[in-house]
Amino acid sequence: MTAFKKIEDNLRKEAKSLLESGKVTLVLAYAGGFDEKHPVPYVAKAAADADRLVFNEYCTHNMARYLTRYPKGTRIAVAVKGADSRAVVQLIQEGKVRRDDLVILGIPAAGMKNQKTGEIIDTRTTGSAINPVIHDILLGDEIHGVKAGSPYDVLAELEGMDKDARWAFWKKEFEKCIRCYACRKACPMCYCDPCFMDASRPRWADKSPTGDGTLMYHLTRFYHLAGRCIDCGECSRACPVDIPLYLFHKEVAKECEVMFGQAAGMNIEDKPAMANYKGEDSDQMLGS
Amino acid sequence: MENPYIPMPMNVVQITTEVDTNDIKTFRLTFVNPEDEKKFKYLPGQFGELSIFGKGESPIGIASSPTDPGYVEFTVQRTGTLVGGLVTTALHDLEEGAQIGLRGPLGNSWPIDFLAGKNVVVVGGGFAFTTLRSLINYMIHPENRKRFGDITVVYGARTPGLLLYKDEMAAWQKRKDLVMHVTVDRGDANWKGREGFVPTVCKEVAPSAKNAVTVICGPPIMIKFTLPVFFDLGFSRENILTSLEMRMKCGIGKCGRCNVGNKYVCKDGPVFSLAQLEQLPRDY
Amino acid sequence: MLKKIAIDQFSELVKALLEQGLLYAPVKGTDGVNFRAIQNPADVTLDYYNTVLSPKAVFFPQSEDLIRYRIKKDTPEAQPVPLENRPAVILGVRPCDVRSFEIMDRHFLGAGVIDPYWKSKRDSTTVIGFAFDVNAAADPADFYNTFGYGAADPEGSDVFMIRADGNLLLRGMTDRGEKLLASLGCLQAGDARDEKAFDETVKKGKAVRTRSAEINDKEIAKKLVDIFDNGEFWQKVTMACIACGACTFVCPTCYCFDISDETLFKEGARKRFWDACTFTDFTLEASGHNPRPRIFQRYRQKVCHKYSYHVDKYGCISCVGCGRCIRSCPVNIDIFGIVVEAGKL
Repeated sequence: MTAFKKIEDNLRKEAKSLLESGKVTLVLAYAGGFDEKHPVPYVAKAAADADRLVFNEYCTHNMARYLTRYPKGTRIAVAVKGADSRAVVQLIQEGKVRRDDLVILGIPAAGMKNQKTGEIIDTRTTGSAINPVIHDILLGDEIHGVKAGSPYDVLAELEGMDKDARWAFWKKEFEKCIRCYACRKACPMCYCDPCFMDASRPRWADKSPTGDGTLMYHLTRFYHLAGRCIDCGECSRACPVDIPLYLFHKEVAKECEVMFGQAAGMNIEDKPAMANYKGEDSDQMLGS
Repeated sequence: MENPYIPMPMNVVQITTEVDTNDIKTFRLTFVNPEDEKKFKYLPGQFGELSIFGKGESPIGIASSPTDPGYVEFTVQRTGTLVGGLVTTALHDLEEGAQIGLRGPLGNSWPIDFLAGKNVVVVGGGFAFTTLRSLINYMIHPENRKRFGDITVVYGARTPGLLLYKDEMAAWQKRKDLVMHVTVDRGDANWKGREGFVPTVCKEVAPSAKNAVTVICGPPIMIKFTLPVFFDLGFSRENILTSLEMRMKCGIGKCGRCNVGNKYVCKDGPVFSLAQLEQLPRDY
Repeated sequence: MLKKIAIDQFSELVKALLEQGLLYAPVKGTDGVNFRAIQNPADVTLDYYNTVLSPKAVFFPQSEDLIRYRIKKDTPEAQPVPLENRPAVILGVRPCDVRSFEIMDRHFLGAGVIDPYWKSKRDSTTVIGFAFDVNAAADPADFYNTFGYGAADPEGSDVFMIRADGNLLLRGMTDRGEKLLASLGCLQAGDARDEKAFDETVKKGKAVRTRSAEINDKEIAKKLVDIFDNGEFWQKVTMACIACGACTFVCPTCYCFDISDETLFKEGARKRFWDACTFTDFTLEASGHNPRPRIFQRYRQKVCHKYSYHVDKYGCISCVGCGRCIRSCPVNIDIFGIVVEAGKL
C-alpha cells in the first residue's frame, strides 16, 4: 500500500529545503484543489509555498508537462511518479531540458485513482513503471513484487479485430471528439510551438469537428508521438469525452519497441528512436 | 430573416498596385446586385469583410469615400512573410473581372458630427492610411468641405516607393483647402520632398489644439512617438482619435474574438478616442 | 396545467414527442451522458446528474455550415445554407442550464444584430426542464446557488418536469409549453396531490445547497477591471492551466466561434465552429502580433469576459454555476474559487 501521507510529508520537507537553500527556484508538484479528489498542479516558488503541497491517490497529473515552460538554466525540482519520470528522461533525450537543471523527486506509487471514475489506474491505461526510472531523491519506498502485467495486454481485443472492425471502432470514438485539444495540451511531449494544427498555409487539418479534420489531427499526433509517448495516460484522462487514446498510443509504442528494441523515456543516454539509426534496426516496410 | 453572415457578390473592376514592393494593392469593386448597392451606406472609418470562397474572409478598411459613387475600394496588403496570408494572397492573385464577396459596412466610423466645425489634423503612417484617405476625400468633397475647419494632413512612409495613393497625394498637394505634408523616412535619388519621421514632422508643423481634433493611424511605433507630440501641443485625449486593429472573424460582434474589455472592436470600434482606449485593459 | 405520466411509461412520452418533430434528450454513451438527437426512444436516459457537454449545441451546434460552395475556374458557385426552422423539443435540461439559454439570448439576439442561426432554432424549440434530484446532494463542483438558482426552479422552461413517487410531473410554464402538454395524449391530468408534490419539490430544491458566495454583478465587474494589471494574482491562479478548450466547450454560456472555409477538392463550406479564448492563437494577428501570448492573459480574459465585460454589455454574469468546466478541466482549475479570491483582493 502506497504510504501517501508519508510521501506528502517528505514532499513538503524536501521542497522547503530545496527552495530555502536556493538549490532550485521552482518546485513542480501538487496543491489542494476545491476538494480532496481534485488536486491541482502547483508551482512552489517560496519556501512557505511548500506547506501547500499535497500528495494523494488523485495526484495523477504528469508534472513533467510543465518543464518545457521554463527556459533552460531554470533550476527546477519536479515531483514525478513512474510514467512521469519517463517523460523527464524523454525530454532530456530530446534536449528540451537539462539533467543538471533538475532535482527529480521520485514518487513510487501504486493505487493511483482516476479522478472521474475513482477506478484504480493500472497498466490497462498507463505504463508499467510503478517506480520512477530516474530520481535524485525518493519521496517514498520503492514498491516491488506488484504483479503489474504488460502495458500491452489491453490491446488484445483491438488486435483481435479485423482491420475494418478496428477502423469502425476508431471512427466511432473520434465522432465524440470536440477538438478541445486537452489531449495535446496535457501531453508532456507535445511542446511544439507552433503545433501543426496552428498552421493555415498549408492547412494540414481542418479545424471544425466535422469532416476529416478530427481523424487527421489525432492520427498525425499519434505518429508524432511514435517512440516518444511514455504511456502516462494523461491524454486519455484529460479527454472530456473519454476517448481511449491510450489504446492507439500503446499500439504505436509496442510497434516501436518491437522494431527498434527501445522503449521511450527509459535511459537518458538513449537517443529517441525516430531520430536515430542503428545498424540492427528493422527494415520491415509497412503493411508486411 | 436577414443574415449578416452572407456576403454580397462584387465585381473586381480595377486592381492598382500601390507600392514598389508590389504587396499592397487597391481593389475597386462594384455591386452585382443593385439592391445591395442601394443598401450599402457607409461613412469613412468603417470596414468590410472581403470574402473569397474556399479561402475565407479578411476585415479591410474601406479606402473609398461615400462621396465616390458607384464603387467601393479596399487597399489590401498581402500579409505574412515567407508564406503569405491565406485570404490576402488569394486577393492579390485575382485578376480584374473576378468576383468576390463583401460583408459590410461594419464597425463605427470616424465621428463626422464630432469633427464638424473643427480643425482636423489627419496623421497617417505607411499602410495605415487607407481609411484616412476615405475621410479626407469625404471632407474635401464640395458638398462637405464647408462643415469642417482647417484640414492638415501629415503622411509618411518608409521610402517614396511605399507611399500609397501617389497620384491622389499629388493632387491634394495642389489644393488650397487642405495643407498636405508628405514625408519619407529615407528618400531616394528622385525624391524632392521632405525627409523625416512622422512624429518629427508633426512637431514641426505644430498644429494648434484650439478647436481641433487629430485622427492618427499608423504602426505602433509611430503612434508611440506621435502621441506625446500631440499631448505637448495641448490636444486632450477626447480629441485624439485612432482606429484599433484586432483579429476579427464575424465583424458583427458575435464571435467574441475581437473582445477587449467591454467592447467588441468590430462593433463598438474600430474607431476609438484615446480617452476611450485608456479605459480598456491593455489587452490589444 | 399539470400533467403526469408514470415513469415506467416514459418511453411513451418520448415516442409522442418524436412524432411531433426533432427531439433532443440525454443519451448515455461512452462519452458519458450528453444531449443527442433521438432516433430510438429507448436511448433516452433520465439517470444522470448533468450532461458532460451543455445543451447549447441544440441552438448553437459545434459546427454549422453557413454557405456551401463549389470552386470553379472563374466565379465559385455559392449557396447559403437555409436556416433551420423545424419544430423541436429539448427534454431534460437542468434549471441552471435553462437559465443559460436566456443569457445566450442576450448575446445572440441583442446588441442590434440578430444571429439568424441561433434565432431560428430557438424560436422553434420547446424546452422541457428537469429538476435535479432534490433528495440528493449537489455535485461538489456546482455553485449555481451563487446566482440564486435552486435545484428545481421551473422558471425559464416551457415545461418543467419533476420526478415524484414513481411519476413524472410536467407543468406548463409558458403558452408554448401548455400547447405542447395539451397535444400529448399519453399524459394524464395531475390532481391536487400532484400539484402539492410539484410545489414541494420546487421548495425542497431551494434548500439543496451548492457552493455559494455573495457576488454582486456590478461590484465584481468593477473589481476585476481594477485588478486587471495584478500580474502576480493572475499568474498564481492560472499556473496549472494548460490552455486547452475543455472548459469553454462544455460551458453553456461560452459563445466564441471561428469561421473558416473548409474545402475538399472542389467542394466545401464556410463553417462556423466553437473556438476558445484560451487557445494560443485566438488573438494571433496576421502581422504576428499576439495581444495574449501567455496563458495567464488568456485565462484572465475568460474570467473578465464572463464576470465583468459581459455584465457591462448585457447586464448579467455569463455563468450559471453548473460546474461543468471544473469537472472537465484536466487540471481541476476552479473558476468559482478564482472569482471569490479576486473579489477579496
